[in-house]
Amino acid sequence: MAPTLTEAPAKPAMDYHALNAMLNLYGPDGKIQFDKDKEAAKQYFLQHVNQNTVFFHSLRERLDYLVENEYYEQAVLDQYSFEFITKLNDLAYSKKFRFQTFLGAFKFYTSYTLKTFDGKRYLERYEDRVVMAALGLAAGDEQLAIDLVEEIIGGRFQPATPTFLNTGKQQRGELVSCFLLRIEDNMESIGRSINSALQLSKRGGGVAFALTNIREAGAPIKQIENQSSGIIPVMKLLEDSFSYANQLGARQGAGAVYLQAHHPDIMRFLDTKRENADEKIRIKTLSLGVVVPDITFELAKKGEDMYLFSPYDVERVYGVPFSDISVTEKYHEMVDDPRIRKTKIKARDFFQTIAEIQFESGYPYIMFEDTVNRENPIAGRINMSNLCSEILQVNTPTTYTEDLGYDVIGKDISCNLGSMNIALAMDSGNFGKTVETAIRGLTAVSDMSHISSVPSIERGNDQSHAIGLGQMNLHGYLARERIFYGSEEGIDFTNIYFYTVLFHALRASNAIAKERKTTFAGFRDSKYADGSFFDKYVNQDWVPATARVAELFRNANIAIPTRADWEQLKASVQEHGIYNQNLQAVPPTGSISYINNSTSSIHPVASKIEIRKEGKIGRVYYPAPFLTNDNLEYYQDAYEIGPEKIIDTYAAATQHVDQGLSLTLFFKDTVTTRDINKAQIYAWRKGIKTIYYIRLRQLALEGTEVDGCVSCML
Amino acid sequence: MSAPLKLVDHVSAINWNRIQDDKDVEVWNRLVNNFWLPEKVPLSNDVQSWNTLTPEEQQLTMRVFTGLTLLDTIQGTVGAISLIPDALTPHEEAVYTNIAFMESVHAKSYSQIFSTLASTPEIDDAFRWSVENQNLQRKAEIVLSYYRGDDPLKRKVASTLLESFLFYSGFYLPMYWSSRAKLTNTADLVRLIIRDEAVHGYYIGYKFQRQLETETPERREEIKNYTFELLFELYENEVQYTQDLYDGVGLTEDVKKFLHYNANKALMNLGYEAMFPSAVTDVNPAILSALSPNADENHDFFSGSGSSYVIGKAEATEDEDWDF
Repeated sequence: MAPTLTEAPAKPAMDYHALNAMLNLYGPDGKIQFDKDKEAAKQYFLQHVNQNTVFFHSLRERLDYLVENEYYEQAVLDQYSFEFITKLNDLAYSKKFRFQTFLGAFKFYTSYTLKTFDGKRYLERYEDRVVMAALGLAAGDEQLAIDLVEEIIGGRFQPATPTFLNTGKQQRGELVSCFLLRIEDNMESIGRSINSALQLSKRGGGVAFALTNIREAGAPIKQIENQSSGIIPVMKLLEDSFSYANQLGARQGAGAVYLQAHHPDIMRFLDTKRENADEKIRIKTLSLGVVVPDITFELAKKGEDMYLFSPYDVERVYGVPFSDISVTEKYHEMVDDPRIRKTKIKARDFFQTIAEIQFESGYPYIMFEDTVNRENPIAGRINMSNLCSEILQVNTPTTYTEDLGYDVIGKDISCNLGSMNIALAMDSGNFGKTVETAIRGLTAVSDMSHISSVPSIERGNDQSHAIGLGQMNLHGYLARERIFYGSEEGIDFTNIYFYTVLFHALRASNAIAKERKTTFAGFRDSKYADGSFFDKYVNQDWVPATARVAELFRNANIAIPTRADWEQLKASVQEHGIYNQNLQAVPPTGSISYINNSTSSIHPVASKIEIRKEGKIGRVYYPAPFLTNDNLEYYQDAYEIGPEKIIDTYAAATQHVDQGLSLTLFFKDTVTTRDINKAQIYAWRKGIKTIYYIRLRQLALEGTEVDGCVSCML
Repeated sequence: MSAPLKLVDHVSAINWNRIQDDKDVEVWNRLVNNFWLPEKVPLSNDVQSWNTLTPEEQQLTMRVFTGLTLLDTIQGTVGAISLIPDALTPHEEAVYTNIAFMESVHAKSYSQIFSTLASTPEIDDAFRWSVENQNLQRKAEIVLSYYRGDDPLKRKVASTLLESFLFYSGFYLPMYWSSRAKLTNTADLVRLIIRDEAVHGYYIGYKFQRQLETETPERREEIKNYTFELLFELYENEVQYTQDLYDGVGLTEDVKKFLHYNANKALMNLGYEAMFPSAVTDVNPAILSALSPNADENHDFFSGSGSSYVIGKAEATEDEDWDF
């Protein structure tokens, strides 16, 4: 009765997607089929890339064609002699770069490389993109161009997506990754913000807004009670603006909004992400962040109520916007002040609600406001973060005239990012040079960026030259060296590594300040100028606590800075200043870590074989870097490792990073909101500055899973 | 031919503190945690991608989803409900009501996909096609006739085959698109549906096995023969249906393998051995890997909402948690 279908049809050559997917299915010998992914990468070039790449007979012909047809910017090439460009090109190709994974190659050709305007054929190989990025960033400085090619093609430094994607192209978005803007409590500011959301989304990069200053629902307008609609309609407007504008279709505009925990609309704000929220108030694509001061933890500890304060009244009483006062400092004063209207909720309920919403949606992000401001070396106040919760900089408000013109242009924030590959940087031997080249490359982006459509951003960048050097491939490196993520040695390494990066980053920024004889505006008021920033480095020794980590640095020939080194650097910084207001920020590194063959950021891997899903590439499988069938045990995934070890690792890094680090927490679906709250309390106690997403993994009910699937096994 | 649906003739208050079968609680909890509504998925992000499909591909996609809508409608309004009178425990009844509700959510989800991606005439066309396509109608008739019959075991077999087998000729397409970076948000939504159907098929199959254990060997033999006959009948019809849908885009061969794979899966849920040898179940790995009901995708938050979030268990913090 069963059909007699025994003969399988003859198999055509497997397509690369199928080969790639076989990574996620165990082979007949029960091992992970790494060779299938290599084969997928090979087939991708054979079946697709090579056939669709435009061929040129010579470099000259290629460059002429690309300039004439308005693909490349003539001005970028004009800064160099053709001989030099040829030399640089040869240098890049001499490195024999190969993509290590299918996803690396697929991601590069899908999202980064230059294509013909009809989108059908490729005009660049990886080497060409690296050369063009180096030429653009070096702005005529031949040595810097060579250094950048060496570092980028060597895999030690990888500029962030907007920079790597856009540099040197004539039709392009901005090179900057991130924008952060304040919104003030008036219609001019709200209107300008919508406009900024459109303009900045059009040019690329994520945009974050602080909503803290906007008066709550029911607040008076022109002293008439119950007039304001609060923050939710503003969020809706922003969400729609981001959906409308996207970066030449490259990616959807993406935005985040931050709100102070003690804003009266806080619960409504969180409920926009509820599973059963009404369509009118549901927020689907906007990211949420909550700014939590220390006092909220203190109140929760005592099991007390937390008061929420009307921003409208706070601004009238203190004469400055709500976001510019410390809630922790003024809390009791505001509670006792009858001029400030207030409501209250239970502090513990607030934290529990956050955890519930995180269960359902992964949001909100959390910024620990007082930790951030205590650790901030720059004069001023930090009241928000960005779309990836790693940018932490000071801002000042903008005021407008009645015709929507600018009265006082305040200071808003932009940041361009790039990340080092920890494993390859450790391998290179010339660690200081890698850091310095990265700092100079990032500084170039800041120097080249002039976002005139949003004057507060342009002004902020002109004054601060802020950059964010990140790190990735920590787990890959540790596993390759057979060290467990989150172990004593793993944390020790993280500490000494970030300590060493900080030294060289400051050294490089100091060198630039010396060369250009200028510093960022406000250097004189910073903790760098008065020297207090250096206290913890000149008053104590920072050395590896474990023999293994000392050995790693010794074998890599990387000198760990001594107190004497710091004394010297401190003196030089106090005399000459530093060029960049901010130097480090550790982003989550999605796309670029695939191209660079890294594990993301300093997180543990999400899975040995990661299932990556994105709008542009669909569902693709990615093997963890350096993973083989022999070292699987060192690739415990983030869900197995659990939040504490991740927080410990981040805490070790955080103490040497002036801005923030995108810290995602991973939970199995068996946890409760209490477990999430406990992890948040632990993170806050350990000096973590921000928490990014909460990710949950739910396993299939026993009996319903797909057999032999790598990512399903624990 | 339609006998009136039998209703439960005796009801006593359900006591969740006296559980006869732990599986009921396990599955109930899982289903509740997995609760979702289509509004959560930003389907409109797929509009651009939809416009890159050829007219044939668009039509195919519409037809696939109308086919799925029909099956979910059957399962929501008749299928899951018809299982209630046969339930062995009161908690089993409760689980079926949950299943019935989610099936209606699924049916509505497809409409949400339609209204986001297509115009009203296109939608009407697709629904007209679903009424006119013989193989689709036949599929519905076969299943419906067993739901109307008076054999509880046969009803469960029909239901499991529907949940674990018949849906999948349709599920193939969104999984295929998503592996090609098309309609990825639609695929997110369908993966949520697959996540549910995997549990439904498994649970109904499990209950079938429990009931079967109490039967005589002759009766067991009869049911087994019936199962394979019904599967074969459905399979032949499904092959026709697959050809109707997929011949135009050249995917029929691969979808058939997928049918074999899922037919085996359905049999496994019912506790039977596989019908198709592994040589004809070697589904395209890109589809098979995407099928895993595990919520383990590391998705990019900026282009979709993912299919891994669940409704969590709330638990208040205690004083000791705040000891700092």
